[in-house]
Amino acid sequence: MGEAETRIEFDPLSTGSFRKRVTSKTIVYALLIVFSIYYLAPLAILLMNSMRPLEEIVRGGFIAIPSSLSFQYWFEAWGTFCIAGTCDGVSRFFQNSLMMAVPATIISTVLGLINGYVLSKWRFKGADFLFGLITLGVFLPAQMTLLPWAYVLGSVGLSNTITGLVLVHTIQGLSFTTLFCRNYFLAIPDDLIKAARIDGAGFWRIFRRIVLPLSPPIIIVTVIWQFTGIWNEFLFGTVFTSGANQPITSALVAFSGSGTGVRAYNVEAAAVIMAALPPLVIYIVGGKYFVRGLTQGAVK
Amino acid sequence: MKTIITPTFLTTTAVASAIALCASTAQAEPKTNMLHQWAQGSEAAAIAKLGEMYEARGGTWEQTAISGHTSNTLAKLRSDVVSGNAPAAVQLKGPEIAEWNQTGRTANLDDVAEAQGWDAVVAPELLSVMKPTGSWVAAPMNIHRVNWLYSSRKILDDLGLEVPKTWDEFNTACEKIQAAGKICIAHGAADWSDTTTFDSVVYGMDLDLYRKAFQEADTDAMRSQGMIDAFAQLRKMVGYMDDGINGRSWEQSMAMTMDHEAAFFLMGDWTVASANAAGYEENVDYLCTQTPVDWGGNGFILNADSVVFFEQKDPDYIEGQKLLAETIMSPEFQVTFNVAKGSIPSRTDVDLSEGGFTQCQQQGLVDLKASVAEDTLVRSMAHNMTVLQKFRGAMMEVITEYVADDSITPEDAANLLADAVEVQQ
Amino acid sequence: MSESTTSKRSAMQWSIDHLPQIVLVPTVLTMFMYVVVFSLWTIWISVSTSTILPDPSFGGIGEYVALWKSKRWTVAYQNLFVFGALYVTGALSIGTLLAILIDQRVRFEALWRTVFLYPLAISFIVTGTVWRWIFHPQTGVELALHDLGWLSARFDWITDRDLAIYVVVITGIWHASGFAMALILAGLRAVDGDLVKAAQIDGASMARTYRKVILPTIWPIFLAVAVVLLQFAIKTYDLVVALTQGGPGVATTVPAIVVYDLMFQRGQIAQGAAAAVMILVALALILIPYSVYQNLRSRHEERSHG
Repeated sequence: MGEAETRIEFDPLSTGSFRKRVTSKTIVYALLIVFSIYYLAPLAILLMNSMRPLEEIVRGGFIAIPSSLSFQYWFEAWGTFCIAGTCDGVSRFFQNSLMMAVPATIISTVLGLINGYVLSKWRFKGADFLFGLITLGVFLPAQMTLLPWAYVLGSVGLSNTITGLVLVHTIQGLSFTTLFCRNYFLAIPDDLIKAARIDGAGFWRIFRRIVLPLSPPIIIVTVIWQFTGIWNEFLFGTVFTSGANQPITSALVAFSGSGTGVRAYNVEAAAVIMAALPPLVIYIVGGKYFVRGLTQGAVK
Repeated sequence: MKTIITPTFLTTTAVASAIALCASTAQAEPKTNMLHQWAQGSEAAAIAKLGEMYEARGGTWEQTAISGHTSNTLAKLRSDVVSGNAPAAVQLKGPEIAEWNQTGRTANLDDVAEAQGWDAVVAPELLSVMKPTGSWVAAPMNIHRVNWLYSSRKILDDLGLEVPKTWDEFNTACEKIQAAGKICIAHGAADWSDTTTFDSVVYGMDLDLYRKAFQEADTDAMRSQGMIDAFAQLRKMVGYMDDGINGRSWEQSMAMTMDHEAAFFLMGDWTVASANAAGYEENVDYLCTQTPVDWGGNGFILNADSVVFFEQKDPDYIEGQKLLAETIMSPEFQVTFNVAKGSIPSRTDVDLSEGGFTQCQQQGLVDLKASVAEDTLVRSMAHNMTVLQKFRGAMMEVITEYVADDSITPEDAANLLADAVEVQQ
Repeated sequence: MSESTTSKRSAMQWSIDHLPQIVLVPTVLTMFMYVVVFSLWTIWISVSTSTILPDPSFGGIGEYVALWKSKRWTVAYQNLFVFGALYVTGALSIGTLLAILIDQRVRFEALWRTVFLYPLAISFIVTGTVWRWIFHPQTGVELALHDLGWLSARFDWITDRDLAIYVVVITGIWHASGFAMALILAGLRAVDGDLVKAAQIDGASMARTYRKVILPTIWPIFLAVAVVLLQFAIKTYDLVVALTQGGPGVATTVPAIVVYDLMFQRGQIAQGAAAAVMILVALALILIPYSVYQNLRSRHEERSHG
């Protein structure tokens, strides 16, 4: 638990002769570089094309050396481009997405932590069955749940509100967060809990004093997973909001929708990058903890 | 227990009731929220104009523009209806208007229609669509013509060719054009664009076949020799296209034609709007004529966008619907909107020589009237104006598969078409 | 008065004793609604007469029959297995390879890890759009090659009916192999060092060590990753829509697209629900054996740990 991981101490490449070592290392780095090209290519293309003039893209294709670079399309994409019914660029859709993703992430994470704690440390009849039921939620296809959700939201009067959308994402996210947290907490030694109970600690105290302090890695995994999933989600965001409340994924789809008029690839590329920044930043900053949290048994 | 009924009490109650009474009969503030799929480009600009006019007439304008495929807009519509919040105004067309009318949730526009005299000025073929059971439930925004043939002026001039009038002439011209090293037909393969082309082929080869197969979904007509011949012609035409049809957008195909890389482009009149925006000129870069017909005469395949209104409880929305319907049908809106969209007004009493209509658009109206007179006017199956979506979808699948797979013979295709429709019956 | 205090106290005691269950109640209720009720509703609708709006009257299994008669559905269901299998094995293999590479005590580990992991942050819509630009012969790689002078180069898989599905696979693997890599890397790091040292002392080569000692230990992680990837594959919608729109023709259509199209575009809600039920069946075919296996494994572990 915690920081203790058994690292492999054996370095396979340090066995064998010097020449064998160098060739092996070269091969490894070469492979890594080749793969990196495959992974980075789309990002590079996006970046490049967000700064090229449109005629150049239309004539020369997407994979070409740009003749000039300019950031004007970024400003256009953020604040002035006419898309999805307004002429304010994607800034307001960005805000809408924030207003939707942040609360849903926080609530589903908190609930997931509590649920995971209960299902891993407090054995009672039917606990495993309940866990199975909750986990099933991970597998339901979104298209199937759209109309039932419409009924539900309509009957509680939350249709076409951001609150309703937060509710939908929270409940759908509960399956993932509970799954992750419960598997992670399984690794906390039961003896710790038993000892605390003998000392007279109750349900909430054990949670606060023992479980929560050990949680940061899984909290980060859960937050990353949820935020990314909710932020990048299109269908529910579009159907359960209206007018200028739409999330940023709606605006992105609007860029690629067919209609009369020229498709502004460069503004689209800039908008796409802006839309991808929050999850991207979270992954880059939290990547280390993501791996660590997954290491410590998030997925079993 | 003291009585509270004092003279002061009575007066204040009377005054309060009077005010309340006045307020409830006072003019409601018209407002609306229009659900549509025109989230970008010149279509979005055209809807923005609708918004401006609506506000100029005193309404409060709101819109929900759903991007992507039509299914997203329809998903939102169904979801809204299911949750009890049917939208005030929705962009819907064709047989769907009748379907939604049957659910009993649509609003009745007969008052407005009578007051404004719509029955007299709306094209007859549209009336049955807007009034599926005899009452007005939708306001038509425009009339699109689907069967336009856009030709590259330069290629025709260079090769000394005339714009083909029949399908035989078309094939001959294509042979010559291909021999000269140019692409004959510019095309972007997608279910709707493949079907748009096929609409024109069937219509041009056999008008009755079109009516039976595509307007009435008669499966015997689909298995007939006429349909097999039409599929054979379609196969020929795919041979006149280049290899890059998969994944090409229709605007790119249009540009190919007007940049003189390809000779012909079959598409509806929204092409004109795009062409103008891109700077191409009629008669200089491209010519607009009807797609070839073998039966001599004026042909017109019609597509119309319209707005359907759903019953509302809020009096502001109810007033707003009436105002929106009036605005849509007003000559000013019809002119502004249609100039921007490349189509022609749904009102036949608008003078197209003013307002900025291009020559192609004006020709469209002339052809429409001629087509009505000759009784050759039909509605478009490709653009969801005739049969139910379940049949149309099934047919489009067969047609687009046929275009993509040249191992399917015309006979097979005709039977597949009929089978696909029968399965859904 | 003392009776009510006792009952009050025992009521409070009962609540404290059952606090775990009580805390779980909101989640269980909502999950019950979400999983059970929604699924039952979908199953009911699939045998109803619903068309443009849900309609609870019973209609029979006609919609299932119509569904399986349509070519688009059979192609889609087939694609599900093809795409699913290739996507999962591809992402797993590449993920494992990348994990092994990074595990070789390379420098700049954080950099490599970020490079391979970041695609997970990108939405499928964006992924599909950008890869489409790359794959399309007239805007992407083929055009670039032509411009460089190699005029006979061809890379038009995306326009080829038989090859287009592989384009979807390649793009999917790009998106998800980082996830596989992260988990497998974690697993590699958790292997018992003593076992590995023992193999080294015995003179085993690197490849042999990996095969005989390390990979078998992290086998459960493979399985877990495979299951997560599989449910991604089954729910795939946005990726295909942005990349190929299900085309050319219907060559790359997947079941989720058919569900959405039937339910919303074509106003055939009952048939759409039938398709959704078929997706659930496919999921069950994978999940039930997996959970049985998990159950058996944990029981086996319990027994061997006494």
